[in-house]
Amino acid sequence: MSQTALISLLLASPFIGFLINGFRRKHHSGNVAGAIASVAVFISFLCSIALWIELQGLPKDARSILVNFGSWISVGGLNVNFGFLVDQLSSLMILIITGVGFLIHLFSIGYMHHDPGVAKYFAYLNFFIFNMLVLVLGDSLVTLFVGWEGVGLASYLLIGFWFTDKDKASAGMKAFITNRIGDAAFLIGMFIFFTSFGTLNIQELNALAPTIAESTWYGIITLGTLFLFIGATGKSAQIPLYVWLPDAMAGPTPVSALIHAATMVTAGVYMIVRMNPLFLAAPNTMLVIAVIGALTVIIAASIGIVQNDIKKVLAYSTVSQLGYMFLACGVGAFTAAFFHLMTHAFFKALMFLGSGSVIHAMHEEQDIRKMGGLKKYLPWTHLTFMIGWLAIIGTPGFSGFFSKDEILWLSWHSPLGHWSLWGLGVLGATMTAFYMTRLMALTFWGESRVPKSTHPHESSPIMLIPLFVLAALSVVGGYVGIPHVIGAILPGHPENILANWLGPIIRPIPGITEAEASTEWTLMGISVGLALISSLTAYTLYTKKQELVRAMTEKIRPVYELVYKKYLVDEFYFGFIINPLVRISENIWAYIDVRFIDKCTFWAGDLIKGGGSFVRSLQNGNLQQYAMYIGLGLVLTLTFVMMR
Amino acid sequence: MDSVSSEGLSLITNVGLNHYLVLSTALFCLGLIGVLLRRNAIVMLMSIELMLNAVNISFIAFGKYNNNIDGQIMVFFVMTIAAAEAAVGLALAVSIFKRFKEVNIRFFEHLRG
Amino acid sequence: MTADAFLFWFLAITTIAGGITVVSVANPIYAALSLAFTMVSVAAVFVTLEAYFVAGVQLIVYAGAVMVLFVMVLMLFDLKHELEAFARGKVSGAIKLLTAGLLGGLLIGAIAYSPEGSKIAVGANQVAVAGDPTKNLGYRLFTQHIFAFEALGVLLLVIAVGAVALSRSKGGTHGQR
Repeated sequence: MSQTALISLLLASPFIGFLINGFRRKHHSGNVAGAIASVAVFISFLCSIALWIELQGLPKDARSILVNFGSWISVGGLNVNFGFLVDQLSSLMILIITGVGFLIHLFSIGYMHHDPGVAKYFAYLNFFIFNMLVLVLGDSLVTLFVGWEGVGLASYLLIGFWFTDKDKASAGMKAFITNRIGDAAFLIGMFIFFTSFGTLNIQELNALAPTIAESTWYGIITLGTLFLFIGATGKSAQIPLYVWLPDAMAGPTPVSALIHAATMVTAGVYMIVRMNPLFLAAPNTMLVIAVIGALTVIIAASIGIVQNDIKKVLAYSTVSQLGYMFLACGVGAFTAAFFHLMTHAFFKALMFLGSGSVIHAMHEEQDIRKMGGLKKYLPWTHLTFMIGWLAIIGTPGFSGFFSKDEILWLSWHSPLGHWSLWGLGVLGATMTAFYMTRLMALTFWGESRVPKSTHPHESSPIMLIPLFVLAALSVVGGYVGIPHVIGAILPGHPENILANWLGPIIRPIPGITEAEASTEWTLMGISVGLALISSLTAYTLYTKKQELVRAMTEKIRPVYELVYKKYLVDEFYFGFIINPLVRISENIWAYIDVRFIDKCTFWAGDLIKGGGSFVRSLQNGNLQQYAMYIGLGLVLTLTFVMMR
Repeated sequence: MDSVSSEGLSLITNVGLNHYLVLSTALFCLGLIGVLLRRNAIVMLMSIELMLNAVNISFIAFGKYNNNIDGQIMVFFVMTIAAAEAAVGLALAVSIFKRFKEVNIRFFEHLRG
Repeated sequence: MTADAFLFWFLAITTIAGGITVVSVANPIYAALSLAFTMVSVAAVFVTLEAYFVAGVQLIVYAGAVMVLFVMVLMLFDLKHELEAFARGKVSGAIKLLTAGLLGGLLIGAIAYSPEGSKIAVGANQVAVAGDPTKNLGYRLFTQHIFAFEALGVLLLVIAVGAVALSRSKGGTHGQR
């Protein structure tokens, strides 16, 4: 199949699935709708594999396939095509999107089986996949932005899927509006780049990026990348626009797995990795990215420690892990960021699906204080969830270890990094280990606090198979990115395959030096050791010593309350931003719209009516007046003629 | 001073086309005023006849001063038609009087919008 | 002052006076009589312009037939009182006068500034039309404009029929019976 046909099929397949399920949205058969949607995504997955194999055949420095479906905007100096670029980075991304997406579609068939709006659900899921593919494959920032907006829309539709519940609908709105604020910043970034470089094509922008870094805070590239980054904080839930992600757990759990763990939230990271030459030329922006990433890691992890809803813990964990990816980007470790994106997609989707399985078994109960000891009721769910847990806490040998350690090492070692960033990262890793172990302990281990009326049972095979596949990937997925220092001691000296693959399109960090292996081992040891200690502590506390936990919580009650209430950030936004805006809008409506603009429209109407009445009065039946008008007309015409 | 008076004098003593045209214009405007200001239908018709006469004067004057007989021919036709129109107009006025017992047009504002 | 000039001015004054009288007297009979006088004066103007046949026709048709018709109709009406001879409304009246005045002024201005009017052919050119002007008129009328001439005949026929048809409506002109 030709490359154009492959890419067309890749994009068309989920879109057609969306249309079919959309037109069939009143049908209640979950199996048919799910089958259509899953097949659509599977076709895309096969196309992704085919495209990846095609790329293997190309030489290393020209490894990209660009398909142009025609010109879209050609105005002034702006030329945007319907162009799609498959290169080293996007090929991996579409594999992840379609692969993990397919597994989640399979899971949804089982999970959403009894929902009346199941066809609509699958239509939205396919729509999401289509837009994510457009985002990833777009060869221009404009096309990327189209996909960016599309996934935002799909996210809103899916979060507020059960829209009859007002809270769930509000959660959807919150997600969309917060995203929109980020999108406005993204647009400003695009404007800045267009005015200074004259193009929005990604390859051209990257080629035009200077190799000498800007040092000022108000340089064009710094400002542009800063605004693009603010857009990324909206989409990828970083400080200050992360508030929508925990609320987004109101949507169905497979949605949380797909959109808010594996794919949509990674769009911001993807965008930054894509545009890495531009970001490397703006070290001040990189500093901001790194600091915000590190802070997000800590703050989100701290909130996650005290949450009692299984999905909320995972949501804050996602925000925290995204912080790691941004930290990596901020210190120039783009390959490490993408690596973590990939491994995180595997184990976070796994854990979300696992939690879906738990919720399904517990008949929609999500409070982990009412769970416990589910190990014996849900053995397979427990096994796969445990693999995910081991991956996320950074157990050596699992995927999460390789990616997270790479990030921590480079945040110390990179010239753009700093030991304080490493310190925050290690602290975050410790907290991650703590709250994930807490989650495991309260959900699966220890004594059962499950109410007698609920009879938890294992999920159906269609829900278990994706769990197995993702669990396998969480184990082996890390081996594509074995860091050099570990590879050196292993038999066969495996290389960092991922780094080699992505090498040509990711610029190296300027000024990076060769590292001492011993430093790297030490740092690795510290982080692994601390993670181990913290998980053991959590395990002990939450399986055996719950009274101690309660006592400690009571002692630091005010602090606990603050963290539990998410540091009152939402209240702050509502109080200082949203409510004032609403008040201003109400005033504008009352004073300007009602009193002034409506008056103007009435005035216009009255004017017409008055004019009409006046003209009507001219026709009064008085013959002599008509003759006078004729005479006046004659005089005017003569005057006009004689004036010439 | 002399030239002005001599000019003025020549305007009086040398009667040319312009004089006849001015006479015609004046008569026409008088007829127009009659149409606009008088309320008796018959008097309006008479004013219209006055206007037509003014036009006749200007035709004849042009004909004479351009050595063209066409002016007189035109007047021939105008006169015939004016007479015919007067006849019909008066017949209509008689009908109106029979019906309404009045020919003052202030009673006839039926075309009011 | 030559005889032509004097004649012109005299006739101009009488014509204009007659016209003013037509428009301004309240009694319609007086207006009709004054119109007849104006017609005669205009016929005299035609004579000074050497349109003898047309002058004759003017006297016979206009002053003779049309004015008699007018007077006859006015007599039929037997209007003893003339309510509101002039249109009411001072402002509209003023505008009407203004309109007429402007029209007159514009036309006179056009006449004054056009080069045409400097033809002061008097006297010498008057026999420029070869031969008898009346004979010429007849000749042209019956050859070049024969169609229009015949159409005029038809028109007169139609007018006669129409006038008869119009006057066949019910009701008399003198009181109710």
